[in-house]
Amino acid sequence: MTFYSALALAVGLLVVIPYLAHRLRRRRADERPFPPAGLVQPAPPRARRRARLEDRALYATRAAAVVALAVLGATPFVRCSRLSLQRSGGASVAMAIVLDDSMSMRAGVGGESRFERAKAGARELLSSAREGDAVAVVLAGAPARVALAATTDLGAARGVVEVSAPSDRATDLDGALVLASGLVSSLPQLDRRVVVLSDLADGQPEGPALGGSGSVPVWVALPEIVARGTDCAVLRADRRGVRVRVGVACGPGAGAAGREVVVEDSAGALLGRAPATVGPAFDVSESTVILPSGDAKAVRARLTGTDAIAEDDVAPVVSDAGRGGIAIVADSADEAVATGGAPIVEQALAALKLDLDVRPIPALPDRPEDLARDVGVLLDDPPGLTPEQRHALGAYVEGGGLVMLALGPHASAAPLGATLEPTLTRAVAWRDASRVGADPSSAVGDLLGSAAGLSDLGAPRRALLAPEDAGAFETLVKWTDGAPLVGRRAIGRGETWIVTLPFSVEASDLPLRPAFLALLDAWARTAREHAAPRRSDVGSIWKFPGARRIDVRGPTGPIAEAREDGIPRVTPPILGLYEIVVDGKSELRVAAPSARELDLRPRRLADGAHGERVGERRAFVDVSGQVALVLLALMCVELALRVGSGRRAGAA
Amino acid sequence: MSPLLPIRQAIDWGQIAPLRLRARQVAEGIYAGVHRSARRGSGVEFGGYREYVPGDDLRWLDRRSLLRHGRLVIRQFATETDRTLCCLVDATASMGFRGPAAPAAKVAFASLVAAALSRVALDGGDPVSLTFLGGDGGLPVARSSGHEQFDRVVAALEAVRPGGDVKLDRALVDRSLQALARTSKRGAIVVVLSDLLDLPDDAADRVAAIAATGRVLVVVQVLDPAEVDFPFSGTVRLRSLEGGTVVETDADSTRDGYIEALAKLTGTWQDAVVRRGGRFIRARTTDDPVEIVRAVVQAIR
Repeated sequence: MTFYSALALAVGLLVVIPYLAHRLRRRRADERPFPPAGLVQPAPPRARRRARLEDRALYATRAAAVVALAVLGATPFVRCSRLSLQRSGGASVAMAIVLDDSMSMRAGVGGESRFERAKAGARELLSSAREGDAVAVVLAGAPARVALAATTDLGAARGVVEVSAPSDRATDLDGALVLASGLVSSLPQLDRRVVVLSDLADGQPEGPALGGSGSVPVWVALPEIVARGTDCAVLRADRRGVRVRVGVACGPGAGAAGREVVVEDSAGALLGRAPATVGPAFDVSESTVILPSGDAKAVRARLTGTDAIAEDDVAPVVSDAGRGGIAIVADSADEAVATGGAPIVEQALAALKLDLDVRPIPALPDRPEDLARDVGVLLDDPPGLTPEQRHALGAYVEGGGLVMLALGPHASAAPLGATLEPTLTRAVAWRDASRVGADPSSAVGDLLGSAAGLSDLGAPRRALLAPEDAGAFETLVKWTDGAPLVGRRAIGRGETWIVTLPFSVEASDLPLRPAFLALLDAWARTAREHAAPRRSDVGSIWKFPGARRIDVRGPTGPIAEAREDGIPRVTPPILGLYEIVVDGKSELRVAAPSARELDLRPRRLADGAHGERVGERRAFVDVSGQVALVLLALMCVELALRVGSGRRAGAA
Repeated sequence: MSPLLPIRQAIDWGQIAPLRLRARQVAEGIYAGVHRSARRGSGVEFGGYREYVPGDDLRWLDRRSLLRHGRLVIRQFATETDRTLCCLVDATASMGFRGPAAPAAKVAFASLVAAALSRVALDGGDPVSLTFLGGDGGLPVARSSGHEQFDRVVAALEAVRPGGDVKLDRALVDRSLQALARTSKRGAIVVVLSDLLDLPDDAADRVAAIAATGRVLVVVQVLDPAEVDFPFSGTVRLRSLEGGTVVETDADSTRDGYIEALAKLTGTWQDAVVRRGGRFIRARTTDDPVEIVRAVVQAIR
């Protein structure tokens, strides 16, 4: 500040003049003789009070006018600071604004959220843009997406910035930079740049420095919002009976000492609590909260205490869909000869203690409603399916059900017209297997640990799938000749598993091996997961293949669906419970926080990303015009106040 | 220059002037005859009996009753007697006030009533005396009768100027009451004409005590309409004429409180006077003076 600016600002000290003038202007009411004045109570006169208020308004106006006059006198020495673009030679600029709308941007900085500060920065940048400049807007919440393709319509860009809202997504800075660079790299403007308005907390603090590569310069414009602090989050809260298992994870450096996990009902009443236990960074530690009764309406689990982000300290409590069952269609007459009781698959499922009802049925029902309460259907060597049964089974699988089909001699000898669709489209052959065996090394997934028990599998014959069907399955365990022994295939929102041996001790010794129990356990667990509300990271895409109509209602209201190749899909933008109605059938899904978003360590910056070449952190804008307008307005207000007070005085 | 100075210089007679003629008109509007004395004693008209008490004049002992009944009984006779009218006119500074709706100052109204009463009394043959409370230039008029006395009373009333501050000079009341006691004997009629404002707290009891000493006391409170109605609005700054009290207030919000305080003051005086056997009359300067004088005469009877 120069001497002249200080001198001009010193004019502001003249604000005492209106004050003195107002003090001197205060008059007493005219004195009147009145003998019994001693009987009159002195009271704060209303009229004088009113006059004092009016005087204050007048005084404030005059004082503001003096201050404005001082500022006006001080300009252009006194200016405002804001973000703006630097131009090389005054040419037009192509600018891609990367606006981070991830969950970490919800953290506060200086009384507002980082996201709001980033939006303000975007507004300042757009206000410094001129006609001919091209602007694109990319949102950096995972997955990175283009909010506005490059355009010279600055109004459209401002509109996009204004309507953008914070989300609970993870951060995808790399993807956003790729998108942003691609949007502006081919534009005719020679001066191109990518402006990043982010806290840089993308969960990859050790990743390559941001802005170090690429053809378009990158400018990280707001260093004051770069992430700091630590965060913990409730990743899940599952209820079974009176127990609520709450999973809590913390980012690096964060601790949950002294924090608790509490479960509340919809009114916020406390139903139970448990101390929060936190292990190493990103490890999900589970705390179990015992509810007072099975009827307690637990709605949400909350982590007490505070951290950088409050929104992820609450998660909805989701319940299992109740005690479901597994419907089993097996030939109990044949099996009873060997086991002396129930079929061996039923006994195996009972031995696993899956907390599921095992429901033997003589034949597959003709109506899908009869399978509604079953989380899985197991068919042991069925002799084909009638058209009604195939329709019921198809609807069941399409709706998310799980089917296991054990193939044996009866399946291969299905009568004409009785096929195994929708699991298999072709006939099954029952062939000799004396020269092949199971290949334990081919096991994948849940069967990997127990596949060793399949060596020397004793099976004289096996079912062979047609090549078309074999190729449609993901093989979990193979025969030594490569044919699938166990496979799975997704159909609609459900799955169907096949085993090319029947669950009979007469056909093979598979049911006698531990791998058989592991297979049933993996299948039952998958079936339970399908029946339970699905949980996925916020921002991940939910697809609904085959659905004709879906209605999604999230924590903040309905969410519009999008379609890709005719498949409806929905992206949950914020944490919480989503109620989805797919073709009239309702289901619940949960959007949970991404564990990597808990890492608030910022990404490193390349040397050239600080903006020396491409922008100004603090640009100076002459505000004398605005100050002059303010001064003019103040003078008008002062005139109006004086006229008003003069009329009142005349009326009195 | 003080705004009160003109008030002190002369009475604002307003529509009452000239006092002499106005007082005669008022007096002529009053039926005034010879009033009967309440005193009993020697006389020509029998007034009844009473028990003898030691000290009674033995001339009035009824011998027939003694001989017939063996009791000592005194015969009483009603007698016509003259009764002195003693007027005490408050001429302190507060009495010089005249509001915008009043025909004259309070002291002018009080003087008119006093002069008219004097005329009535003198016409009946009763002597009249006049005493002032405060006031400048007004000399008290000694007890006398005859038509010349009316001229003296009127001259004294016309000569007085409102002045004197009872708040500052507490002895004003003492001097006036002592002068009144000297001029009024037992049986005299004492008429006090005052606004009763700014008087000492014990003034009510001291004035009321006059009635307890065998005198007939009539207190006429003379108020200006502005003092009764408090016609101000908005912010007003009021200055009393005695004591220098200055009050700044919002008239609209304090009107009810003032009227209540004035009623309380009036009630205090009325209770004190009536309790001692006196009469209390409240008058506005806008009232018809004939009615006020008639009310005083009726109170005396």
